[in-house]
Amino acid sequence: MVKNLPVVPTAKAGSLVETPTGITWRIQYPVILETCNMCLDCTLFCPDGALVQQEGKIVLKVSLCKGCGICANECKENAIEMIPEYSGVKGVFR
Amino acid sequence: MAQSIADLSKEDLFGQGNAGCGGCGAAIAGRQAMKALGSRTIITIPASCMATMGGSNLKTTWQIPFYHTLFEIAPAVSSGIRAALEAQGIEDVNVVSWAGDAGTADIGFQALTGAAERNEHMLHVCYDNEMYMNTGGQTGSQTPMYAITSNMAKGKQVKKKNMLAIMEAHGVDYVASASIAYPLDLIEKFRKAAAKPGFSYIHLLSPCHRGWQIPPEKTIEYARLAVESGLFELYEVDEGVRTRNLEPTFIPVEDYLSSQGRFKNLTPEAIQGIQAGVNKHYGRGE
Amino acid sequence: MSTTLLTGSEAAAYGAKLARIEVLAYYPITPAFPAMERVSKFIDDGELNTRFVRVESDHSALAAALGASLAGSRTFTVTNSQGLLYMTEVVYHTAGLRQPVVMAVANRALSAPHSRFPEQGDAISQGASGWIQLFCENNQEVLDNMLQAFKIAETVRLPVMVNYEGYIQSHTLEEVGIPNQETIDQFLPLNRVRTLDVENPQAVNTVASPEFYMDYKFHQNEAMEQALTVINDVAAEYGKEFGRDWSGLIDTYQMEDAEHAFVAMGSMVSDARIVVDELRKQGQKVGLVKVRAWRPFPAEALREALKNVQLITVCDKNIVFGLGGALGTELKSALYGQDCRVNSYILGLGGRDVTTEEIKKVLELSEKTEKQATASEWFGL
Repeated sequence: MVKNLPVVPTAKAGSLVETPTGITWRIQYPVILETCNMCLDCTLFCPDGALVQQEGKIVLKVSLCKGCGICANECKENAIEMIPEYSGVKGVFR
Repeated sequence: MAQSIADLSKEDLFGQGNAGCGGCGAAIAGRQAMKALGSRTIITIPASCMATMGGSNLKTTWQIPFYHTLFEIAPAVSSGIRAALEAQGIEDVNVVSWAGDAGTADIGFQALTGAAERNEHMLHVCYDNEMYMNTGGQTGSQTPMYAITSNMAKGKQVKKKNMLAIMEAHGVDYVASASIAYPLDLIEKFRKAAAKPGFSYIHLLSPCHRGWQIPPEKTIEYARLAVESGLFELYEVDEGVRTRNLEPTFIPVEDYLSSQGRFKNLTPEAIQGIQAGVNKHYGRGE
Repeated sequence: MSTTLLTGSEAAAYGAKLARIEVLAYYPITPAFPAMERVSKFIDDGELNTRFVRVESDHSALAAALGASLAGSRTFTVTNSQGLLYMTEVVYHTAGLRQPVVMAVANRALSAPHSRFPEQGDAISQGASGWIQLFCENNQEVLDNMLQAFKIAETVRLPVMVNYEGYIQSHTLEEVGIPNQETIDQFLPLNRVRTLDVENPQAVNTVASPEFYMDYKFHQNEAMEQALTVINDVAAEYGKEFGRDWSGLIDTYQMEDAEHAFVAMGSMVSDARIVVDELRKQGQKVGLVKVRAWRPFPAEALREALKNVQLITVCDKNIVFGLGGALGTELKSALYGQDCRVNSYILGLGGRDVTTEEIKKVLELSEKTEKQATASEWFGL
């Protein structure tokens, strides 16, 4: 069965946001601590746009996060901690 | 640098869901640049990691018109797009070609020099990770001397070609270097470039942790060390007037180079030579 | 309509002008450059409102034309031989992106050795590319085919090459009737399709996995097959409007009772018409089949036109090494199962002259040849 496709090979704008690549790649994820001073640096250092400013706080869109750890490494206030996705001998997937 | 991050648009016109590696420097560059360029932008990207991670099949991370071009042609395609927009009386659209080091300095150079010579109303961005990463990390003209790559285990024997000087020599409206570790500076440069009537060139350093053999969480850190050591100068040439945007603190080049896996074979003599080169460039004596 | 003396180059340029191209990109190459210069002169004289991108190579010429087409403008370029081969990468890419770019090709032989003389080899090299290819028998047809090319391209969404021979057609003056702009505007209305559009953003040419690529190619080929009908329809429409019907995929001349058919494409066709008339006067039942559209290959039309013919002589001004002449071998394959003798000849390579004399000699030779030793035999060495 031939697929029904657009005439010109194209993709709809923003279509990857709903099914992000890397959703299963994460082995750690960031947690924002109380010491965050809202400098907003992490929102510009995240390669995936997973850290967003919402209602005066930094919020993690976890489905977009690949767990690279740049945010935690760069935070001048040490307000970001990377937590493993699973822990223990057998591993408990979060 | 006029703004603070709070003043920037919260919209993400690129990057969410992208297929790049975790910690990808190119993805960071794309996200930062789009804060300045905005939604009335058409972007052409030749074969590169940036093009590949832009999307596959019926999915894309881009929220603006994006065209994955053949390897050599991005600046030529952009020239054609600009001509069409002018013919149709459409004026307020940015036309950007965004290429890696190969698509800019090597295979893409012909199209780039042609578009620059014509002073086309467009911006060309080179996102430089100093090797041909999309094909596994081979040596290119933007690979620094001594760097080990996937096809040169003994390290490159010749210097990195100075693309900024070459583009400056074209006499175009605006030429600038940028680093993803200095986002406000980078964003300001994109804003300036987009406002120019003619051709602009931005060369930005976007480390690739896989190629440079550094931990992924240190992508930004190394982009900063490159600037602070003086090896990557942040400057702009605006209508022929050169301005250095940041005075480096001159950390020893060794602090930037030796911890990168691709420079593991650097000898003390080589490091001395590199340090001397930096000192000379900044007029700091031997 | 006004009639004047035009070279093939000028005819092609008038075609682009009447089509009101919005963007022009080209890189000079012999003997295609006069067509390029003529269009630039139209722009400089204020007769054509077109943006010219003065690119730095042939490869970039098609790239710029493609970019402009994606942004929704009607575009045009000219090249041949080395330039066409250089831009081959972009040729395939343009067809895959289904952009209706029109290219005039002043056919020239390919290096090495280095030749600047006419031959069909450059067009043949692009046979698998997905571009529709028309061949012109004279300068009037160059102008008419150019205009029809835009219409065909924009209907099936495939790019079109209009082939005419370097020097023989590009540099020779012939009487050409130029249709008036108003009637052409009705024949070729503005048909803007923006693929790159900030009002409707989308990603173009994302990486295609095996799951999808083949389906795209199937649809692309479907468009080629649709072109078999569209080429005929557009020729008929143009014929009705402008009085010159070049009859679509193929044309036949004196074929009603022909026992020996001459099949060819390009400038040879106009000489062949003269030869057919001469031989008919001598009582020989000779006819001519002109292949006007080489891609898509008009297999069905050729089978129909040649169904009652015992002897077919086909001439190629090209060589597909290790196989034979392109038209000859493709024709034989189309006629498989039909009861006839097909003799395929290669001649005129690198600009070696093919006049009415050579055509007469080839027909004579073919009559005497029961079975050729090879797929295509060489004539004129």
